[in-house]
Amino acid sequence: MSSLKLRDVRKAFGSLEVIKGVNLDIADKEFVVFVGPSGCGKSTLLRMIAGLENITDGDLLIGDERMNDVDPSKRGIAMVFQTYALYPHMTVRENMGFALKFAGVSKADIEKQVAEAARILELGPLLDRLPKQLSGGQRQRVAIGRAIVRHPEVFLFDEPLSNLDAELRVHMRIEIARLHKELQTTIIYVTHDQVEAMTLADKIVVLREGVVEQVGRPLELYDNPANQFVAGFIGSPKMNFLAATVVDKSPDSLRIELSAHKGVRLNIPATGGAVGDKVTLGVRAEHFGEAGAGNADLTLDIDVAEHLGSTSYVYANSGSEPLVIEREESRHQFGEDRITISISADKAYLFDSKGQRLR
Amino acid sequence: MAQARLDRREQITGWAFIAPALILLGLFMIYPIVWSLWMSFQVGKGMNLSFGGFANIVRLTKDPVFIRALGNTFTFFIFQVPIMIGLALLFAVALNDSTLRFRGLFRTAIFLPCVTSLIAYSTVFKSMFATDGIINQALMALHVIASPISWFGDPFWAKVAIIIAITWRWTGYNMIFYLAALQNIDRSIYEAARIDGVPAWARFRYLTIPMLKPVILFTTVISTIGTLQLFDEVANFTAGTGGPSDSTVTLSLYIYNLTFKFMPSFGYSATVSWVIVVLVGILTFLQFLIARDRRIKS
Repeated sequence: MSSLKLRDVRKAFGSLEVIKGVNLDIADKEFVVFVGPSGCGKSTLLRMIAGLENITDGDLLIGDERMNDVDPSKRGIAMVFQTYALYPHMTVRENMGFALKFAGVSKADIEKQVAEAARILELGPLLDRLPKQLSGGQRQRVAIGRAIVRHPEVFLFDEPLSNLDAELRVHMRIEIARLHKELQTTIIYVTHDQVEAMTLADKIVVLREGVVEQVGRPLELYDNPANQFVAGFIGSPKMNFLAATVVDKSPDSLRIELSAHKGVRLNIPATGGAVGDKVTLGVRAEHFGEAGAGNADLTLDIDVAEHLGSTSYVYANSGSEPLVIEREESRHQFGEDRITISISADKAYLFDSKGQRLR
Repeated sequence: MAQARLDRREQITGWAFIAPALILLGLFMIYPIVWSLWMSFQVGKGMNLSFGGFANIVRLTKDPVFIRALGNTFTFFIFQVPIMIGLALLFAVALNDSTLRFRGLFRTAIFLPCVTSLIAYSTVFKSMFATDGIINQALMALHVIASPISWFGDPFWAKVAIIIAITWRWTGYNMIFYLAALQNIDRSIYEAARIDGVPAWARFRYLTIPMLKPVILFTTVISTIGTLQLFDEVANFTAGTGGPSDSTVTLSLYIYNLTFKFMPSFGYSATVSWVIVVLVGILTFLQFLIARDRRIKS
């Protein structure tokens, strides 16, 4: 069993609390990604699971055993670091086999395990090289290999791709996904890159300032964000936000008027909120429709248009709010300076002044 | 593209700029070195010198005081350098621990001896190691010894006292190099080893020491050179005699005595000086040989 549970886990450095009561269930063989802006506590939380940081309060359970005070080496985990943390004076083979020597594994078995890890990671030809003779991607594979040979129940990855260039990052992302399929173990993966989170995770945990903002499957978070922070953080390009005011209210919908476009009103299915409330309307770039196709039309000044081939991004201004509009196969239509788009109420999100979703 | 050759005027200007330094270096360093090599083939007392070929080298092999000094110098080298390097490493690792309180204070305290005035420290150590000094009193109070040790009256204890003194003075100096090197090691390397269950002793033996190897080599070479030139402590503690009965005389002290204390024998003392040069060369070469990375690079 390699499930993992966090029960009201807290971490304080002196009087500064950085993890403010995290509750989380991670199932066996699940790929969980902790994502959030820098300083949100995601790495600290991972290091607490690893045992590199003490848990100030709360419980950490791996399997069904409380692990708060168990030595890192006895938690059944292995960790891959952002800086790879390879032993610089040891060859790839020695790097992967080093820890096993102290676990009482026989020489023949170490050799076998290292060979197996090398096969999985295609490191065979590199076994006698030193880390400095490897590229960044190869080093990261060695670091993963060093984790694999220990047959951990839970793999921890701390921003493993941050030191790689963009192309290699995409490649390694696929490698890690393949590895998860092959090894069938629980993985906890920390990143600040929401694309990595979306592409790799079975479950994403969005953190902000030591608090879990939302937990869910990638598309759940994308389609149904719990608040404005998650809505803005998940998805690329970012969700567009337009300031608005509630002008009327019926039992199952709110009528709002956009602040930058007086007279543009539409009904959004939502309860809660009151007439006069300041709210924020969220619309994803791909959800703006052609003129007249939605519930309200907006005419905007075009700032810049980017043509990526299959898709075009139009950057426009709505009052002082910058908007990104995604358009497919319409590369010839942006000769003019203005664009008219429509907003569909069923593809828009409404957030209250505190950033909470109004549904 | 930069001009590959300077024109004549630029060359003259360049040489003119470095000429003062070159002249001083030549006059006070290169000339004496070459002259001392020439001197080492001269025999005779005082200014009454004549060319003696290898006579001085033959004399070396028959000179009991030189053989004594060579033996003493090696004794100091073999015991003092490893003890000091080991202690410096230990202190550096301990003082690199971020959870240790008063780290700054300890670091300063251990480093301070090497910037202390030589005469002041020698005088204090001399009085501490006196027969009625604080060391003997403390050892007797702790019942380690029954009667006071005559530190500078006994050939063995005199060497021990000198080794203690130099170790006290130079351990902190070496420690600073290790501390600097340790702080350059990525912390994740130790964290990875900890998670992987590598015990603390193995992290020190198989991770710290190999990663510090270049610095350890450097400090060993520097310490070797320093120990082979050992003069200050011995001269101060024994009033320049190297006593008792030449048991602490070092090569450098012997050179000094040959030149300035006994009937001056400039040629012979130059020969002894060159012995130190050759020894430093051989030992440094050996240390590099031992520290060489034996792994075949692919």
